[in-house]
Order: sequence, then structure tokens, then C-alpha cells
Amino acid sequence: MPDEKFISAPAEEEAEKASNSYLMSLIAFLGGLPLPIINLIATLIFYMGNRKSTYFVKWHCTQAFFSQLMALPLNSACFWWTISILFTDEKISSNYIAYAITVIAFNVVEFIATMHTAIAVRKGRHVEWWFVGGLTNLIVKAS
Amino acid sequence: MKKLLTEFLLIVVLFFGTWYGLSKINWITLFKIEQASADLEQKIGDLLWKSLETSEGEITSDSLTSAINILLDHLCQKNHIDKEKIKIHVLKNGEINAFALPNNHLVIYSGLIEACENESEFCGVLSHELAHIQKGHVMNKLVKETGLSVLISMSTGNGNSTVVKKAIEQLSSTAYDRKFETEADLTAVEYMIKADIDPEALANFLYRLSGENLPEQLYWVSTHPESKQRSVKIMEAIKGRSFEKKPVIGSSKWTALQNMLKQDSD
Repeated sequence: MPDEKFISAPAEEEAEKASNSYLMSLIAFLGGLPLPIINLIATLIFYMGNRKSTYFVKWHCTQAFFSQLMALPLNSACFWWTISILFTDEKISSNYIAYAITVIAFNVVEFIATMHTAIAVRKGRHVEWWFVGGLTNLIVKAS
Repeated sequence: MKKLLTEFLLIVVLFFGTWYGLSKINWITLFKIEQASADLEQKIGDLLWKSLETSEGEITSDSLTSAINILLDHLCQKNHIDKEKIKIHVLKNGEINAFALPNNHLVIYSGLIEACENESEFCGVLSHELAHIQKGHVMNKLVKETGLSVLISMSTGNGNSTVVKKAIEQLSSTAYDRKFETEADLTAVEYMIKADIDPEALANFLYRLSGENLPEQLYWVSTHPESKQRSVKIMEAIKGRSFEKKPVIGSSKWTALQNMLKQDSD
């Protein structure tokens, strides 16, 4: 989805860097699957490293970071709920299973969206996510 | 900004809506979770009991088991507990101990029967262990201390004897959480009152055996810390309540039972 705010197409290096910010979260997601904080830290590191980069790179690093930030409370709640079932008096319930399925479904959607965005951005196309894209527009301004 | 807020609200509604919708499905029945945990408890319970049975001798004398069964029957019947599911075992062991294993195995050491001054004290201990069984404390403790993965591995025959011994040790020689112990004590009081057995006997038993220099064989008390406080709590729970005190097997039969055990151990 080309966007008017990017006047010129991003250079090859820019597209690669921007795409890597999404790939980073995907790799961290697979690597640190049980711990919801891992992929957030990965994208945060990438975001911090590219704060002074070009607008295109900065914008996509921020979107990748926000997408992980959004998933963090949902995944953390699921993680600690599971821990409490395994190690405390908390019992497994239909409510817990429903929550886990919802969180997994949201994560699958996010995973597919991240993969699609990584590929599109690598080709130099701009992809703005529902809500997260708008939030990124608020934070990252073209200088 | 308004568009952003609307999008955010839509995401929130979508998430909670999905969660709410899915929570209306009875996943526990759908995934047969209750059946699976019952099967696991049965396998673990039988495995632990078999291991205990081979290492310690079970007393199968008719006069002893029938007397114990009369007391257990009485407690179960008055409290609407399915007696058939309780598998009571008396082991020849001088330690003052009783404990519950998964799958409703209730183990009593002969030393405990000898230490109880009357049938009411014994019924108090029996009620306490029955409460642990009825409230599901046994598997809860085992899962917490051993880990679900180890238990599943044990149930499929992959558990070595060290793990089995450790699990038995955890259930027989360590106390439950304070919350569970209190719950078991208070439930035991209710069981005793409903069965017309003096609940003060349980408090007396705890208080009597809660001396500062506990000999090693006083397992049931030394592994149940703060026995004095527990006996005080029991007394507080029954304060002002009226209850009947009726003998179940009678003091002469109880004494005869103890004498039989003493002679057997000499």
C-alpha cells in the first residue's frame, strides 16, 4: 500500500532495515515463545538502534514496537494465569481455556500480519496497521 | 484522534467479545479434562500405594479392619461421603502418622491408633484426612511440589523409584499449606459434629501431642506445625455450639483394639 507521506520510494538499504524490525519480532517470538516479554525487548532494541535512521525505517521500527507492546499485556496475563494453574491452587477452567484460545488467535493474526508486512516493506511498500499505524503516525513525525 | 480511539475500542470489543463468546463453551467437558485428571489421580494413587505396600506391611486382621471400617462408615454416612471410594489401609509402623494418597487412599500407621486415647481422637484424625481427600488437597499438593510433567511421566510408567519415594515422602512427612490445614481442621470439626462425635477430641489430641520436645515418631503432629494454635482454633470454632457425643464402637472395643496392636508390636 504506497502512501503519500513517503514522497520517494525507500532505498534498498532502508527497506531492508525496516523489514528487519518485523523479522526481529518474528524470530524473537519463535525463540522466546513462553516468555511474552522477549519479542518486545527484541523490537525495543531494534527501535532504539534505529531512532536516528531515516523516516521510513524509524516509522516501521516504531510500528513493529507498538504491535509487540499491544500484545504484551494479553500474553503476560495468559502466561501468569498458566503459571498459577501449574503451581498454585488455581484450577483450569473454561474461562481460562477461552482466554488462551483468544490470545492464541490474536497472536496468530499478528504473526501473519507481521510476516506479510515484513515482505511488503522489504519490497519498499508501506503498510499501516489498524490502530497501531495511526498511533505510529502520532508519534513519528516527518522531519 | 477520534478515528484512533474508535479503532482502539473496536480492538478491545473484539478481544473481550471473542473471549466472552468462547467462555460460554464448556471446554472442560469438551476436552474431557475432568476425566483425564481423574485417570491421572487413579494411576498415581495406585502407583504410590503399591510402592508403600511393598515397603511396609499392611495389617489385614479382621477385628482391626472391621472396627476401623465401622468408624469410617459412620463418618462417611453422616457426612454423605461415598465410603466405597475410600480405600483405608492400616500399616504396621510405630510412627504416629496418617496421611492421604491420591485416588482416595487413606493410610494409617498402627502407632497412631495406639496414641489415640479414645475413638473420638482417632475419628478426629480420620476426619482431618477425609477432609484433605474431599477438598482435593492431595493432588493439589502433589502437582505443586512434584510438577505436573513429572506426575504424567510417572503415570505412564516412566517414573523411577526415587521419584515415587519422594512423592510418598511429600504426602506422608510434610504438611500441607497452612490454608489447607486450617480448612481440613475446620471441615473435620463439621464432620465430627454431624456424626455426633466430640470435636474437642481432635483439639485435645493436637494439644496433648504438641509438646516442645517431640520424639521423632510423632510424625502427624511434628509435620503439622503449630499444633497448639490449631487446637485453639478448633476450640474457637466449636465454642458455643451444641453437639451430641455418642460412642460408635465404644471404649471397651477401642481399648481392646489398642491392646491387640500393642501385643502384636511387642
